[in-house]
Amino acid sequence: MSVESPGGIALGRSGNPAVRRWQYLLFAAPALVAVFLVIVFPWAFTVFMSMHDWGVVGSRTFVGADNFLRLLSDKRFIESIGHTLYFTALAIALPVVLGVFAAVVFHRNFPMRGVLRAIFIMPMMATPVAIALVWTMMFHPQLGVLNYLLTSVGLPPSLWVYSPATVIPALVLVEVWHWTPLVMLIVLGGLASLPTEPYESAVIDGASAWQMFRHITFPLVLPFIMVAVIIRAIDALKTFDTIFVITQGGPGTASETINIFLYLQAFAFYDIGYASAVVVVFFVIIVIFSLILLWARQRTLWVVDN
Amino acid sequence: MRNFRRSILTSRRTALGMGAGTAATLIGAPYVIRRARAQSDFDWKRFEGEHLEVFLSKNPRSALLQEHEAEFVELTGISVGSEQVPEQQHRQKQVIEFTSGSTSFDVTMTAYHVQKRLFAKGGWLEDLRPFLEDPELTPPDYDFADFSEGSVAYATQADGRMDTVPFNIDPWIVYWNQDLFAEAGIEYPDTYEGMLEAAKAIHAPDKGIYGVVSRGLKNANTPVWTGLMLGWDMEAVDAEGMLTTTSPEAIAAAELYKTLNADYAPEGVVGFNWNECQTSFMQGTVGMWIDGLGFAKPLEDAATSKVAGKVGYGVFPSGPTARHSPLFGSGLGVSAFSPRKEAAFLYCAWATNKVNQVRMLQSGAGAPCRNSAIFDPEVLASLAFPEQWAETLVESARIARPGLPVIIPVSEFRDIYGVALTNMISGADPAEELASATEQFRPVLEKSERA
Amino acid sequence: MNATGPLAQVRGAFSVSAKRGFEVLFGKLAFAFAVIVIVSPAILVFLWMLSLSLKTEVENTAFPPVFIPGTLTLQNFYAVFESSPFALYTLNSIIVSGTATGLALLVGVPAGYGIAKARSNGIAVLILIARMTPGLSYLIPLFIMFRVLGLTNSLTPIIITHLVITVPIVVWIMIGFFENLPRELEESALIDGASLWQAFWRIALPLSRPGIVVAAILSFIFSWNNFIFGVVLAGRETRTLPVAVYNVLTFEQISWGPLAAAALVVTLPVLVLTVVIQKQIVGGLTSGAVKGG
Repeated sequence: MSVESPGGIALGRSGNPAVRRWQYLLFAAPALVAVFLVIVFPWAFTVFMSMHDWGVVGSRTFVGADNFLRLLSDKRFIESIGHTLYFTALAIALPVVLGVFAAVVFHRNFPMRGVLRAIFIMPMMATPVAIALVWTMMFHPQLGVLNYLLTSVGLPPSLWVYSPATVIPALVLVEVWHWTPLVMLIVLGGLASLPTEPYESAVIDGASAWQMFRHITFPLVLPFIMVAVIIRAIDALKTFDTIFVITQGGPGTASETINIFLYLQAFAFYDIGYASAVVVVFFVIIVIFSLILLWARQRTLWVVDN
Repeated sequence: MRNFRRSILTSRRTALGMGAGTAATLIGAPYVIRRARAQSDFDWKRFEGEHLEVFLSKNPRSALLQEHEAEFVELTGISVGSEQVPEQQHRQKQVIEFTSGSTSFDVTMTAYHVQKRLFAKGGWLEDLRPFLEDPELTPPDYDFADFSEGSVAYATQADGRMDTVPFNIDPWIVYWNQDLFAEAGIEYPDTYEGMLEAAKAIHAPDKGIYGVVSRGLKNANTPVWTGLMLGWDMEAVDAEGMLTTTSPEAIAAAELYKTLNADYAPEGVVGFNWNECQTSFMQGTVGMWIDGLGFAKPLEDAATSKVAGKVGYGVFPSGPTARHSPLFGSGLGVSAFSPRKEAAFLYCAWATNKVNQVRMLQSGAGAPCRNSAIFDPEVLASLAFPEQWAETLVESARIARPGLPVIIPVSEFRDIYGVALTNMISGADPAEELASATEQFRPVLEKSERA
Repeated sequence: MNATGPLAQVRGAFSVSAKRGFEVLFGKLAFAFAVIVIVSPAILVFLWMLSLSLKTEVENTAFPPVFIPGTLTLQNFYAVFESSPFALYTLNSIIVSGTATGLALLVGVPAGYGIAKARSNGIAVLILIARMTPGLSYLIPLFIMFRVLGLTNSLTPIIITHLVITVPIVVWIMIGFFENLPRELEESALIDGASLWQAFWRIALPLSRPGIVVAAILSFIFSWNNFIFGVVLAGRETRTLPVAVYNVLTFEQISWGPLAAAALVVTLPVLVLTVVIQKQIVGGLTSGAVKGG
């Protein structure tokens, strides 16, 4: 009972595209049930909890927007947003710059490229907790290998994660090590899809390597770089393991990001209602952030298309 | 040894301060070497074939229990699954499990200085008094009267419930590097002022030598400050339950904490917990280390410690108005959700019996709660540690006083004031920091007492 | 910039071909240097981890640091396996990540197909948001749900929480994969009277095997690496490896040897997996990630 659609493409038994669409969505039903149970239900329940005074012992009472008002006046929470944004900005910028550079390098053909690329992407797959513990050892102000390396090339030692001034850049260093490979892979995928004609004519015109990168490669891979920025932004905002293991938000609250603040409220102070309010606010921040970035990406696409 | 005996004798007349204002005698009765009585009438095998889960905080005392676990299994026929988890996770996991209404463990370790009132409020641990009075459950040679009054007071809730049996006390002392003191030509100080001067005399950061080290890491550092406050005869929460954290004494203690850590400690101390402090001290680069007394064993282990044989053990110095050793401690309790409470109690009774308490002292893992263990001259003579350690232990126990306020939100207290203290190390003004921390913490405390 | 001075002099002195040769050589050296700079941090951290795990504690806390172990010792590894049941934790990790990945494939592959074919952007965005939300935020409600259901002290709740990680990854990668699959084969099958399910099962699924492999590997690795769920939910017998590693932190001094050994034990399987199937991961991540925008 095949039916010819107007476009001339044959459809299956039930020719109505709307019906067909629903049939296809049936494939997604089991996954949707799973997503509802472990993802959507928790979201809804979190909103419910955020409107209650909900501790581990004692009663739970409805308090409306109290938890949110408390968040607004909680200096520590406001500061944690600042720390999160600072961390995120650095943890986007540095891996993206280095990742693009690495992608350009790996785009060329050279001996042992496969092996070296495999080594290069290893950090991305390594267990963050394990890596964070190793970095903790390397950061030690007196016994750490990093200060040894600094002093052995004549630089002054740093306090790394042991000083409020340097803790976030030091944590970003771990993040850079961990996630630059991902940026590299995305941009490498972009480079692989580039057409060769513009380069050929540029070579004929006698353009230098930098000029070719600046005027041909960069604009063409810009959409891929934006994808990398978006993914990096989401992951950086979510960073937990590294900060939790290395500093727990310290010294003091100098590296306390929203995620760490959330953990503290939920699993150290057991202030479930308040922690749920943090989740709600955090969620809104992430969605806004993603929308801005998606918008930025559409713009770059538009610019490139023109 | 004669000196030491004398210190024991004097200590019998003195008191171990417990709780706000309460003083209780440490030694209930003169020591006697008691022989284990015949146990023919007590049935250790009552619960043969059962299985217990034991949840311990990671420390050398728990390690001892695990090491000798086979003894309990053989004695009772009860099989045991036990584990040690790092302190912070141990505390979190306990609360998470208790609130879930069923626990994976039957026996757990409680830190009195953090969890006492929280656990009481939750009603999460079984009252052990009926078990202790039941001759079928408490072995005849258990001798509860042998526990020091102070530790029993620490284990007893305000309403008289005993939801744990006392396991160990942990008074804080000062470890000092004899070589560095000799080089500087100074003696171990008796007062806070002297401690500052000693730190100053030893401190030579360009040579990689530092005067003093103590916890700078937020949360872990709070007891250092509240401990110093005891030298002004002041606890962070007074007998009426009011915060004293903005008092001149509290500020003076914070100033002292700031000076010690900002001026005379290794760089980066702001991120140090006890293990980083210990590592620094073991490298032989630090003059003094302020912490609990249970670290003699690793410090005297020449395989890892560069200061083995050169460690001095000093009683916490005197403040302007008082001399106290900040006291911490832990006990063993039975989960109120355990279906095997009686068997679980047997484990607690075994773990705190005389033999195990003596083992704790002998291995330098900590200070036991039984008078017969602390004050048995045979035991003391057999210690593998310098006599000074044992002397310091006895003297510290004598002047011990709870190092943290006995309130419900201890975690919040430690966190909020811990942040203030780290800010001070980084240069902030102690009075201002304490004022703003108190402003943050007061509502939390009030809420916890209301609910 | 300094290089241009001497370089210009050199240029004058050599014939054109020699000049070329020099430039090529110089370019090659610069490039090799760039490769070394890029790759060395990645490998050096792992080597330092290996070095720490094979040295004695005295050498580990020595300053200046000892890079090449004076005496190789496996003591740290023995310590790790003796002090806690690491074999059990490894098994737990395999069960948790394996089951969570298996379940995610079971529901996620058809879902990716259905969403791709129906061009349902709404559902795709829902999955994307799920992918973006921090795992920690699911933990409180899920924990309370397990409490109500009495699901504690077993691997089940941990596996369920790991679905939060694995399902979105699988669905997301599979949407991207099915969108790029040529349609002609399925359509001709449909014309021949096959049902939608048959078209999926007989045609699309076999073609999508490379995509499934990538989805499986990535979701397994991300689940393997997860720390936060286990830290809150796992107990003595249900602990996964990352949590176990964190628990190697000792009471006494910082003991770097056993810690590094434990870290190596956790990371090694994933690293080996990465190197072995590097090409697939590279391909999958690139396509999956690009779709991720």
